[in-house]
Amino acid sequence: MIRVLFFGPVAERVGKSEVQVVFKAGMRLLDVREQLQVKYPAAFEIVCFTAVNGEHVLDMSLPLTEHSDVVFMSKFSGG
Amino acid sequence: MKDAVRIQLEDFSQDEEIAALRASSKRMGGIATFIGCARDFSEGREVTQISFDAYGSMAVGEMNKLRDEATKKFALLGVRIVHRVGVVGAGEQIVFVAAGAEHRAPALQACQWLIDELKQRVPIWKKEITPQGEAWLTPHP
Repeated sequence: MIRVLFFGPVAERVGKSEVQVVFKAGMRLLDVREQLQVKYPAAFEIVCFTAVNGEHVLDMSLPLTEHSDVVFMSKFSGG
Repeated sequence: MKDAVRIQLEDFSQDEEIAALRASSKRMGGIATFIGCARDFSEGREVTQISFDAYGSMAVGEMNKLRDEATKKFALLGVRIVHRVGVVGAGEQIVFVAAGAEHRAPALQACQWLIDELKQRVPIWKKEITPQGEAWLTPHP
């Protein structure tokens, strides 16, 4: 499984802070995004950043592995 | 001893943070600090509290990267970064940044750089709680 986490305004729009996506061999980050974007379009309207296993990722073609942690995040507003 | 870089629910003491920074080196000639506080008014509305959500492990990881980068970029002798999460009341402290260097110029420059970069790179989100309701904040420059 891939664990997908949501925080702050994205979590509010999704209605939960975590979902699981079934891992498939050859799965890329983009595949997870496309799958969830269909389900939670309002949340993905404000997604600006993506992280995999705690690191910022710009390349959406990044291959994922089983048990990866993926986070789709809106613009930060700390400080 | 508390970690130099951390997020926490409870308030922090700038005196304790500065004492810890000073204890780390006797070569510091300048320490610059920044404290971010919760304003009680924003965009025409009264604000009673601010609620912070964070991707905790990544937030601390990014804050540690900022400390390392600032140390190299400004030849710092010490850095402390503390950010609160959870609910913060209007007027309370939110974030503390301190940079210590041999001279004042790099300390001051590093302090500004650190808080500016923190706002851009650290996964923390704030929600303003007002008498009219709650709203996630759109980032300001």
